[in-house]
Amino acid sequence: MLCLRNVEYSQNGRRILRSINMTFRDGMSYSILGPNGAGKSTIARILMGELRPTSGQVLLDGEDVTGLSVTERAKRGISMAWQEPARYEGITVRNYLTLGGKLKIGEDGIREVLELVGLPYELYAHRFVDKSLSGGERKRVELASLLLLKPRYAILDEPDSGLDITAGKLIEVILDRFRKCGTTVILITHHEGIALKTDFAYFVCGGRIVRKGFSQEVVDYYRKTCRRCSFAEG
Amino acid sequence: MTIKVDLTREYEALVEAYQREGLDTSLFGDRIAAIIISGDKIIGLNNVPGVEIRGEEIEKGVRAEVKIAEGVELPFPIHLCTGYLKSEGYQRVIFDINVGKNSKVRFTSHCIFPYAKDFTHEAIARIKIGEGSSVLYDDEHVHGEGVRMVGKTEVEVGRNARYTGKFTLTKHRAKELKLEMVARLGERAVLEIETKVKAVKDDCVEMKEVAYLEGAHSRANLRSTAIAFDRAKVNVINEAYGFGDYAKGHVECHEIVKGDADVQTVPLLRVKNDKAELTHEASIGRINEAQLIQLMAKGLTEDEAAELIIKGLLGEW
Repeated sequence: MLCLRNVEYSQNGRRILRSINMTFRDGMSYSILGPNGAGKSTIARILMGELRPTSGQVLLDGEDVTGLSVTERAKRGISMAWQEPARYEGITVRNYLTLGGKLKIGEDGIREVLELVGLPYELYAHRFVDKSLSGGERKRVELASLLLLKPRYAILDEPDSGLDITAGKLIEVILDRFRKCGTTVILITHHEGIALKTDFAYFVCGGRIVRKGFSQEVVDYYRKTCRRCSFAEG
Repeated sequence: MTIKVDLTREYEALVEAYQREGLDTSLFGDRIAAIIISGDKIIGLNNVPGVEIRGEEIEKGVRAEVKIAEGVELPFPIHLCTGYLKSEGYQRVIFDINVGKNSKVRFTSHCIFPYAKDFTHEAIARIKIGEGSSVLYDDEHVHGEGVRMVGKTEVEVGRNARYTGKFTLTKHRAKELKLEMVARLGERAVLEIETKVKAVKDDCVEMKEVAYLEGAHSRANLRSTAIAFDRAKVNVINEAYGFGDYAKGHVECHEIVKGDADVQTVPLLRVKNDKAELTHEASIGRINEAQLIQLMAKGLTEDEAAELIIKGLLGEW
């Protein structure tokens, strides 16, 4: 179980997150839903270890992992697909997916995940993960990479942004695949339709948790209140 | 291939060096136009129809002329092999390459100095490319620990012609490397230059690439990548001059520094024609944080992530 306990985060004197408590149980899927600037991606980066909370803890199976590096957390099964995946010159999709050969995966495995995210192996395996890929293609490669890793916790930051109209279907396929692997998905989104595809949701606004529960309930509340919410003003 | 009988052992030693480095030994075959130089001797020479290579031994080196006739299209590269198998000394090689109209050729140039400890290599190349021709010049180096290299290349790219130059020194010490490449482009000529260098320890690298876009609609893309480790020093100068109508040039330099290395890049863009357009892109410093973090989130350590990124930048995959 992965938890955030009383997490606060401030930057340049500005409070970005206030008293965040979240629990992510194994095998479930979660959304962190909220408008732009709510603090969703900051939560994701704190879970991954890219940012350290100003106060509070990140707990993994009850153990305090707040001080662990990104690599150490990844080795314990937490991984993340960033909203803006980085580009890598001279590294092919194939090499990227296998982390330069570190992941021992055969061609069939690579082919399977690429085709699952809608990228035909023959057309993409030998392309470079550089700026020659469109934003949507790069995003799909990143999702394929996480599918191959099969982490215990997969944090997907705005996985649908930059994708075409097939994004909703793709997210369903990805969630289904992770569910089968036993991966807990933590999906960051501002689209209610995407949040509905997960089991549970946290509605975050102005750096606070406004609502939590089954995704349908949280989304209903979000739809009713989001545009009138005073938290968004800070 | 004509091999001088008294130099057979040197020839064999060079072929062995190719094998050790994983280089393509088929380039020594009879179907390949080639000149094989060791020290100040021409130890092998081969011509094929459409290609005439003539060599002359000069003081401490070799001068060679390579003439490509008009309309020649070769299935294999022309092999320019310059070797030096002693540990100390000086070598000067001069290449005059003349490519006739409407030809399409590739050059594979290998500079093999595997045992060099205190060795200076001076290389001068003058390349003239005729109208409508296309030339790819791939220059790869195998250096011992102590090579001082001074290379100067002048290229004239004729009307509707194309020159692609690649220089790679990533698997061996650069030690002291000074490269200068100056290209002049005619109407609708295209120039592409890609240089990749890795500098370690106390290596000192200076690279200067200059493109004069003189012809209308000429195009140039100069691209340098340098990785500097330890106490190495790297200085990259990219210059582009837009003179011709609708000439377009882009210079790009990416330098990554690790340890106490010292790197700098100096771009110079000058336009003397209001229809010309030049652009510049540079990144210099440590490896991009986002690139590192995102690989670390997949379980790589920072060093492993850096190695993967650098290998990509140097084209080692």
